[in-house]
Amino acid sequence: MKEILTETAISSFDFKVPAGFPSPAADYSEERIDLNKTLIKHPLSTFLIECEGTSMVNAFIPPKAKLLIDRSITPKNGDIVLAVLNGEFTVKYLKKNDFKCWLIPANKKYKEIEITQEMEFTVWGVVTSVIINPNDTKCML
Amino acid sequence: MYALIDCNNFYASCERLFQPKLNHKPVVVLSNNDGCVIARSDEAKALGIVMGTPAYMSEDLFKKNDVHVFSSNYTLYGDLSERVMKTLSEFIPKMEVYSIDEAFLDMSELYYTDLLELGIKIRKTVIQNVGIPVSIGIAPTKTLAKMANRYAKKKYKDVGVFYAADERLINEMLAFTEVEDIWGIGRQYAVLLRNNGINTAKDVADLPPDWVRRNLSVVGLRMWNELRGVPSIEWEFVPGRKKNICTSRSLGSLSNNYSIIKEAISNHAARCALKLRNEGSVCQAVNVFISTNPHKVEHKQYSHSITLQCETATNLTKEIIGYALKGLQIIFKKNDYFYMKCGVIVYNVIPETEVQINMFDTTNRTKDKTLAKVMDKVNNLMGKDTIRMAVQRFDRRYKLRAEHLSKKYTTNINEILKVKI
Repeated sequence: MKEILTETAISSFDFKVPAGFPSPAADYSEERIDLNKTLIKHPLSTFLIECEGTSMVNAFIPPKAKLLIDRSITPKNGDIVLAVLNGEFTVKYLKKNDFKCWLIPANKKYKEIEITQEMEFTVWGVVTSVIINPNDTKCML
Repeated sequence: MYALIDCNNFYASCERLFQPKLNHKPVVVLSNNDGCVIARSDEAKALGIVMGTPAYMSEDLFKKNDVHVFSSNYTLYGDLSERVMKTLSEFIPKMEVYSIDEAFLDMSELYYTDLLELGIKIRKTVIQNVGIPVSIGIAPTKTLAKMANRYAKKKYKDVGVFYAADERLINEMLAFTEVEDIWGIGRQYAVLLRNNGINTAKDVADLPPDWVRRNLSVVGLRMWNELRGVPSIEWEFVPGRKKNICTSRSLGSLSNNYSIIKEAISNHAARCALKLRNEGSVCQAVNVFISTNPHKVEHKQYSHSITLQCETATNLTKEIIGYALKGLQIIFKKNDYFYMKCGVIVYNVIPETEVQINMFDTTNRTKDKTLAKVMDKVNNLMGKDTIRMAVQRFDRRYKLRAEHLSKKYTTNINEILKVKI
């Protein structure tokens, strides 16, 4: 029992205190917050992309925003998705019911797109985080 | 039961993932230095483009059929391969990564699982999560699993999975497979079998064992057993330590400039040293080779290589570059020779812990080892080759041709996919 205690005590300090008092915080130390772990639930299926354009500004996606895309999530109504429409990528809100499906921009200057049978349409992944630099948000004013 | 998972047209599929407008279009990927075709999409196969065709011979065909050509982007393929493999290992941890786009899974402990259903689920998950289409073959041995995978691609393309669950299904598959397409059958044996009227894998499996032993040696017997459902090929869950490590490239353009070849050799040697350090090994000999382009008949031809023994086994960049350049100095011939290819091979690789110190070796390596450690740390943090030896230079004058290189979408923040929205 004694041995185990000693070992634990050593492993919680990874620096030496040659004299003076040991840190009272040592027993309470925890790992610092790691944004990779917080933001990326599925690292194997998560990809990072960058946006150009203003069609999603009201969804807090200004130009130059970086988006985390998780492919493993099944898209549901109301998700922001990275979609492929006729071979081209786009980012929009996904609206869908049992019969139909739309891509909805978050900017009144852009039109909704109704997905029809002639279109080749897939959802590439679901947007799970938006990373923006405050300096890039002026267009949202 | 074993499964072989194989990524369909892997390199082409990687490129398409980030350029979906190329779906249903012919895509080819070229080898290092844009030499030959090494991967084709199904559409490119249908055009009759053959693996290994030199790119310059197919330029017209590419243009005429609007074939999309890529230089090989191994950084991207490597990352996507790792994602595929790790996704697979989340299903079944007993896995052998066989190549960049193939892995065997050991399903022998799943007595109560419906393996076909599992295969379909694995396939669906990899396609959805990573975006790379795969095919799966499930069978009692590795050889049969490999065959089942091929059979799935040829006969059950839409399902993408073939489970050789019983004798009837195994026989169906064996009868479909020509001898040339059996895993591990070389051209010579294939000819021998054909000459004896043995045309399909089924015919091979039906051969008497004596005949196999007499005509196909032990290797053939092992394959015969595998075809009959008796596992005979070892599993390598941990890849074996390599005996030799080779780094060689074509030069971007033919060169007779000693300084350029010296730069290339230094970089190849440094790459070998890094590979050794990464796996905790040292090498006991260093080989350098150079050669001119044998296809340029009008040029004078020369190729030579030399192996230098190391005084003490090493993995230090400084020392391996030293040996390599010493060798180069000896074999390099000036003037009319235009070199196309050069490389460095490190031989007799052993674990770092097994080094015997040469009695007459007076070099103090502690300092060099600390230096190497610091270099590796910085390079890990700041990017490959941030710190390097001066002979390696920064301008990469020997750089490979890679005119159709796509972005490193997943590993470089400056090259991530940009989407117009």
